[in-house]
Amino acid sequence: MRFKYPYSIALILVFFGVALIRCKTRQSADEPKKIAIVVSTLNNPWFVFLAERAAAKAKELGYESKVFDSQNNTSLETDHFENAISSGYDAVLFNPTDADGSVVNVKNATAAGVPVFCMDREINSNEAATSQILSDSYSGCVTIAKYFAETLNKKGKYVELLGLVGDNNTWNRSKGFHSVVDQYPGLKMVAQQSADFERNKAMEVLESILQANPDIDAVFCGNDAMAMGAYQALVASGKAEKVKVFGFDGAEDVVKSIQEGKIMATGMQFPEIMAQTAATMADEYFRGERDFPKKMPVAVEIVKKDNVENYAAYGKK
Amino acid sequence: MKRTMKYIASLLLVAVVVYNSVYFKKLNEVKAEAAGFNAANYAREFWNKKLPEHTGKAIEIGQLLALFQTDKEKAFADYSHALGIGNVKYFLVKGSGIVQSVDENQVSVRIESEKEKPEVFIATEYVFGNAVRDASGEIDINEFTNSMDFNNVSAEINKIIRQKVIPPFRAQVKKGDRISFSGAIELNKEHLSTRSIEVIPIDLRIIKE
Repeated sequence: MRFKYPYSIALILVFFGVALIRCKTRQSADEPKKIAIVVSTLNNPWFVFLAERAAAKAKELGYESKVFDSQNNTSLETDHFENAISSGYDAVLFNPTDADGSVVNVKNATAAGVPVFCMDREINSNEAATSQILSDSYSGCVTIAKYFAETLNKKGKYVELLGLVGDNNTWNRSKGFHSVVDQYPGLKMVAQQSADFERNKAMEVLESILQANPDIDAVFCGNDAMAMGAYQALVASGKAEKVKVFGFDGAEDVVKSIQEGKIMATGMQFPEIMAQTAATMADEYFRGERDFPKKMPVAVEIVKKDNVENYAAYGKK
Repeated sequence: MKRTMKYIASLLLVAVVVYNSVYFKKLNEVKAEAAGFNAANYAREFWNKKLPEHTGKAIEIGQLLALFQTDKEKAFADYSHALGIGNVKYFLVKGSGIVQSVDENQVSVRIESEKEKPEVFIATEYVFGNAVRDASGEIDINEFTNSMDFNNVSAEINKIIRQKVIPPFRAQVKKGDRISFSGAIELNKEHLSTRSIEVIPIDLRIIKE
C-alpha cells in the first residue's frame, strides 16, 4: 500500500507520455501533410478561384488540403486558425480579412510551428508570416491612372469607389491611382466613397452620387465587381456612353466588357500564380527550406481595348 | 529590524519600478525615429550614387532589339530586372538618334544604330511607374519594412526626372536635333511588343554639331 500512490502517478505519466508520443507521430511517413487554405470570403468568385487553385496545386504536390471561408470576419478567421493548429495542419495558405486584425492569427500559427504563406492580401507585419505573395496593386494602379489621365486628356470630373477600408489593397490601389492623377489639376474628384468591393453596393453608391453630380466623366473603382456595379448604375441613368469606367482585378465579366467597349481598362492580377507560388513555398518548407523572401510582389498588367485579346479571366490566355 | 527590512524592500521595489519606467534618449535619435523613412533622401542618394554605375553599363537600344529577334530569352536573362514574379520586366538602355517630332506628351526619336533603327518615344509628360527604380536591379523590396516607403521611392525618382531631366531638354529640343539619351523601358516578356517603346529618361542631351 505504501507504493500505491507513486505507482499511480507513474502510471498516469506513462499514459500521458504515450499519448504525447502518439500526438507527435500521428502523421507517420506514409500520411500526407495537410495544408489549410484560409480565405477571406468565398462570396467573391475571384477568391473562390484563388482557393481552388491553391488546393489544386497542393494536391498536385501530394498534400491534403481543406478550404476555410472566413466570410470577411476576423473572429471567424481566428476560429479557423485555432482549428487548423489543433487539427494538426502543417501549413496555412492564407488570404487575410484584415491587414492589422489578422496579424495575431499568423503569429499564433507561426508560434505553434505552422508556417503561414499570405496570398494577395498583405498583413501589417514583416516578421509574422513565412512569406507574403502579393499583387503589386500600387504599381498596377499607377499604370491604370496613367491611362486614365491620357484618355481623359488630363481634365474632367471623376468619382472614386473604394473597397473595404480595413484592407491594405484598398489604399495601395487608391494611393497608386492618386500618385498620378493628383499631378493634374484639371482632373477633379467630385466624390470618393467606399462600396466594400461589392457590386450591388457600388451600384447604389454611384446612383446616389450621380444625383448630386450628373456631369461626371469617369469612375475609378478599386475592383472589378464595383466597376460592374458602377456600369449598371450608368446604364440605368443613361450615361454609360459618356462616362468611362476603370476597374481592377481581371474578372471575367470585366474582360468581356472591355472587349465590348463598355469598360475602359482593368488591372489584371494573377491569382493562379499567387496560389501556386504559396503552395510551392509550403512544399519547399516541408523539405527543409527556411530562407524565403518576406514579400514577393506579383506584377499587375493593364488590360485595355488594344491588348485585351492577350487576356482571359484571372490571367493570361 | 523588521520595519527596516520593510523599508529597504519597499525602496528596492520603487527603485526597480522607476528604473524600468524612465528612459533617457538623445534628442536627435528621437527625432530620427519620429521622422521615419525619407523617400526623397533615399531617391536622391540612389540617383546620384548608385544609378550612374548602372546607366554606364546600359545596353544600346538597337542592339537590344536585334537580340530580341535572335535570342529573346538571353535578352531578358542578361539585361532585364524585375521585382518578384510576373511578365513585366525593365531594361536600362542608351542610344542616340534624330528627333522626328516634339509632341505634347513625348518626343519621338529615330534611333541611329548599327543594329535595329526603330522609332522610340521619350516620355516627357507621363513619367510614372517603377521603370527607373527597378531596371538597375539595385533596390530590393525586402530591405523595406513598409511597402508604401518602397512605392514612394519610385514617386521621388520620377519627381527628380520631371523636375531636373525633362525641363531643360524640353525647352530646347526641336525636330531634326540629334540627341543622346539613357533611360529605362518596360516590356512584357509574355506579350512582347517593340512597336512603340517608351523610354523614361535618366539623361538627355542635345548633340551640338
